[in-house]
Amino acid sequence: MKTRRLSPDSLTMAAMITPALVLLVLFLVVPFFISIGLSFTNQRLLPGPIPTKFVGLRNFETILKDAEFWRAFLNVLFFTAMVIPLQCGFALLSAILLNGQKKRQRLFQGAFFLPYITPMVVVCVIWSTMFQFPSGVLNSLLKIVSFGMAQPVEWLGNPKTALLSITLLSAWQAYGFQMVIYMAGLQNIPVELYEAAAMDGVHGWKRFTSITWPSLYQTNVFVLIITTIQALQLFTQVNILTQGGPQNSTNTLVHYIYRTGFVIQNIGKASAASIILFVLVVVIYFSLSRLTQNDPTEAKA
Amino acid sequence: MSRRKVADTVRTLVLTVLSLLIISPLIILFASSLKGTRQEILADAGSWKAFIVTKPTLQNFVEVLSPDSMTPFLRYLLNSTIVLVLTVVLTIVVSSMAAFVLYQGRFRGKKLLLAGITALYIIPMETIMLPMLYEVLNLGISDSYFVQVLPFVASPLFIFFFYQFFSQVPSSIGEAALIDGAGPFRIYLQIYMPLNKSALATVAILQGMSMWNQYLWPLLSVSTDNYRPITVAIASFFGSDTILWNLAMAGSVLMMLPVLIFYLAFQRYFIASVMSSAVKE
Repeated sequence: MKTRRLSPDSLTMAAMITPALVLLVLFLVVPFFISIGLSFTNQRLLPGPIPTKFVGLRNFETILKDAEFWRAFLNVLFFTAMVIPLQCGFALLSAILLNGQKKRQRLFQGAFFLPYITPMVVVCVIWSTMFQFPSGVLNSLLKIVSFGMAQPVEWLGNPKTALLSITLLSAWQAYGFQMVIYMAGLQNIPVELYEAAAMDGVHGWKRFTSITWPSLYQTNVFVLIITTIQALQLFTQVNILTQGGPQNSTNTLVHYIYRTGFVIQNIGKASAASIILFVLVVVIYFSLSRLTQNDPTEAKA
Repeated sequence: MSRRKVADTVRTLVLTVLSLLIISPLIILFASSLKGTRQEILADAGSWKAFIVTKPTLQNFVEVLSPDSMTPFLRYLLNSTIVLVLTVVLTIVVSSMAAFVLYQGRFRGKKLLLAGITALYIIPMETIMLPMLYEVLNLGISDSYFVQVLPFVASPLFIFFFYQFFSQVPSSIGEAALIDGAGPFRIYLQIYMPLNKSALATVAILQGMSMWNQYLWPLLSVSTDNYRPITVAIASFFGSDTILWNLAMAGSVLMMLPVLIFYLAFQRYFIASVMSSAVKE
């Protein structure tokens, strides 16, 4: 091997990339390996009287036998199953309505996008007054819609409705993101397809099912992946509004990690739970990504 | 009226009704923040009165903003702003420089390094927050501005984002400048950065929104009012049995206003940024 002298230019280049590399190592790579390392120990967050020791796979065993963990896991699945149709469906509807709008499109789009720029903490403050029991806006609305038949609901206080309530406010806050993606997707559909359909006398719902929906295949897969990954990370609104309760009915995986590691300070077990969540994210990401390869519109071409 | 015109009118009508429904929670927020007491807010919560104010007062704002109050919101707003500005500036500098080297640099393993950095994007922040807390507690940098800024500065997403923007600059421009004797840093600063102003705006908007919303990480890593951001401060209203709705509403409006002003001024860029964040991934 011959030694080469580094040119001043290479030194500049090295200096330019170093801050990023150092920070990526310090705040992504190192914590990732710390979590792997700690997951096999009984380490506490703050040094305690019990000495740290290697415990093998015991943390993973305890978690997989922990009813609270499985409840959190199922809650996240239920949340995902509810939030995807609600949030993405409304996003697509809004995008279709906005795309056809010539006049005042910017004004309407501006209004539809407002919830997305509203900080989640603020959303929690507003919605918790709307969820008030027995007399909040949502209970009044329920009364009007049911002609006074329905009893007021204790939205966040009842284990049966708490997760649904979290879903509603989450969908309201976040659908703007999916709406914008759908708007881009809709603009990519060739106008000729619609012109040809109009000549064949295809309109309305038929036009949506035969042209719009199939043409949005890639967009749908992308929206599905990103919404699922975000749903898996549900935390802020749960932490603020319900702390995972009542009776664990809104506990989530991230909240479980937070409780275990920060509140109970069992960082070993929390690290193990973090790794389980990470594996879950990777598995879901790669299995959903495979869907992009089955595009029906591509196959025809 | 033609069929088309009827359809247009119906659509506009539907959009108007939906828009009002969608923004109605925000109307409640602004109306409530101007009401005098928490009792008044709760009494109005179940009727159309939730959307209006009869006797507007700025009392709640005076109370949360006063430095001697239990909730020094001026301090929290300042903390969040400092963290946001520092992070946005550093993110742009650090991520764009790294992206420039990954694009223009000539060294072995460049493609592998780029792939490695991009792959890091799959690690969700949520899964490394607690180990990271353990790390910063041991480094002794918890409860500071630094601890809220540094973990977000080098972002795989934004490095990749700048990389994609830079790769649209014809490399002949950079090479021509090299022949003229310009060093890499000058090429980066005087050619690449000015040509990609829209990338800067996009990263600033996306990172700014994300930083203004930071909740979990400061909840873990910040322990005193000196550095506490506004998110954690507002959330702490929920800790007590009787929530001070009037103060929570005023605090929320203070948090919302800067975002709203920026959004109204740059709506087009906000939406375009969010759109490109999706398309680039």
